[in-house]
Amino acid sequence: MRKIIILSTLVLTVLACTEQKNDIVSVSGSTTVLPVVSTAADMFMKQNPGSKIIVNAGGSGVGVNQVGSQRVEIGMISRDITEKEISQYPNTSFKTHSIGRDAVVPVVSSEIYNAGITALTLDQLAKIYRGEISNWKELNGPDKEILVIDKEAARGTRHVFMEIVLGDKEAQASGADLVLGANNEEQTALVQSDAALGILSNGWLNDDVKGLSIKMPDGTLIEPSLENIVNNNFPITRDLVLITNGTPTGKTKEFIDFILSAKGQEIVVKNGYVGISK
Amino acid sequence: MWASQNKLGKGYVITSTYVSIAITLLIFSILFCYSFQAFTEIGWRLFTHNWNPATEEYGILPMLYGTLSVTCIALLIAVPIGVLTAIFTSEIVPKQYRLYIKSAIELLAGIPSIVYGLIGIAFFSTWISSWFDLASGRTLLTAGILLAIMILPTIITLSDDALFNIPKKYREASKGLGFYSYEVIQKTIWPIAKKNIAGAILLALGRALGETMAVMLLVGSIDKIPDPFYKVISPGQTITSKLGREVGESAFGSLHFSALNAIGFILLLLVITLTVFTQIYFRKKQEAL
Repeated sequence: MRKIIILSTLVLTVLACTEQKNDIVSVSGSTTVLPVVSTAADMFMKQNPGSKIIVNAGGSGVGVNQVGSQRVEIGMISRDITEKEISQYPNTSFKTHSIGRDAVVPVVSSEIYNAGITALTLDQLAKIYRGEISNWKELNGPDKEILVIDKEAARGTRHVFMEIVLGDKEAQASGADLVLGANNEEQTALVQSDAALGILSNGWLNDDVKGLSIKMPDGTLIEPSLENIVNNNFPITRDLVLITNGTPTGKTKEFIDFILSAKGQEIVVKNGYVGISK
Repeated sequence: MWASQNKLGKGYVITSTYVSIAITLLIFSILFCYSFQAFTEIGWRLFTHNWNPATEEYGILPMLYGTLSVTCIALLIAVPIGVLTAIFTSEIVPKQYRLYIKSAIELLAGIPSIVYGLIGIAFFSTWISSWFDLASGRTLLTAGILLAIMILPTIITLSDDALFNIPKKYREASKGLGFYSYEVIQKTIWPIAKKNIAGAILLALGRALGETMAVMLLVGSIDKIPDPFYKVISPGQTITSKLGREVGESAFGSLHFSALNAIGFILLLLVITLTVFTQIYFRKKQEAL
């Protein structure tokens, strides 16, 4: 009896492992693109029974690395692939597919927002991240130390933000107090603190984490609204991108086409981003 | 019992031993191979303060400091509580309740570390930030306290076994000599169990050094040594949290990946040295007895 059980377990294990792999599409990468792709994956699987899409997070850097080492079919990134990353994977020909647009928004805890700080200039942001401004008092806010939240080095949101604010996408922010990863981790820290400044994707703003407007040199205030992202007025915008190794085929292609279709673009808009057709 | 069965049993035991040894050696050598590039190309500059893969600076001192300080905090809290609890469960609690108390404590060990991390983020970090009036509760101290809770069951349950397994005759003999209960524990039981309790603490130390998920969420993850260095209510970084956050982002085969392997290798060396030293120390002590 025992032998039969062991044998059947073995057979089952082998069977489980030989499930046809080409029907599974694995996706990983940016937590900015994640809400769109995971909603789309649910809908796609409902429409095409039998197909399976596995979506994981990890950040843009993880997305590039896993497509580069050919461990997943689709990588989600919210920044450009760097030269360095391309040269690290000579056997992979990265192909990008834009699926939407987004803004990277400096955000503050609601206490700071309600105390009157609703806009900052890019120069003030740079000074905060370099550590030259360390108290909200210096910006006419309450007398509180600024809790400056930075992100992990390979995160897309950080690349885009630092490129525009500090001039180099991999610049070090010596004024930072915490280094966090995913958008939701950063959101939690912002809510828990009453004096925090962080960077988030536009799709992740809510009542507790308020996005700041950017004060331009001529004095105009530009809020992170969808309109300002569409017409490129907001200074820190970027594309949401899926990457594949070469031209996608089969289920991978079907899935990307689904996201680019009217229904897929509806999901992009619902998550607070801007569709690609506009 | 047939002779062939005997051989089979012996073969099985020997094979399992060799497999465990081989796995340890394999991990050691793989880590060394992958970190070799970092050791040769970065060399002594590994022991500096600045970590920035973009400019190829890989200083690991903040991570080393973080790991050591978080572990020290955890042990400082967990060892006294753990050992005293073990004395309580093994020597003082009536036997019929011992099992219930022990199972409850052992349940603590079965909680996944990510759950500890979430509890830490939701409660501990907010408490710490309001107690010490900090901007953020993600500090070395918070991680240390959480780690102390996580290693408590290891210390308690192993120390309790060490105490409980001491034959009854020792207790009876010392009572017969007219010792009070506390003297029985202090003069008879404790000296015998000391070595095994040290073993329990060592095992807990290993877990504390290696714990990743909960620490990663709570430690703040910034590569800085606090100023002044004993100010543990500021954020920091441990070796494991660094690895947890960055290993996925580094390309396989790059210098960055190699440097991450190097800190993993250093962590392994740290654990090995600690284990060997404690073993030698206690063996000598036992020989002296």
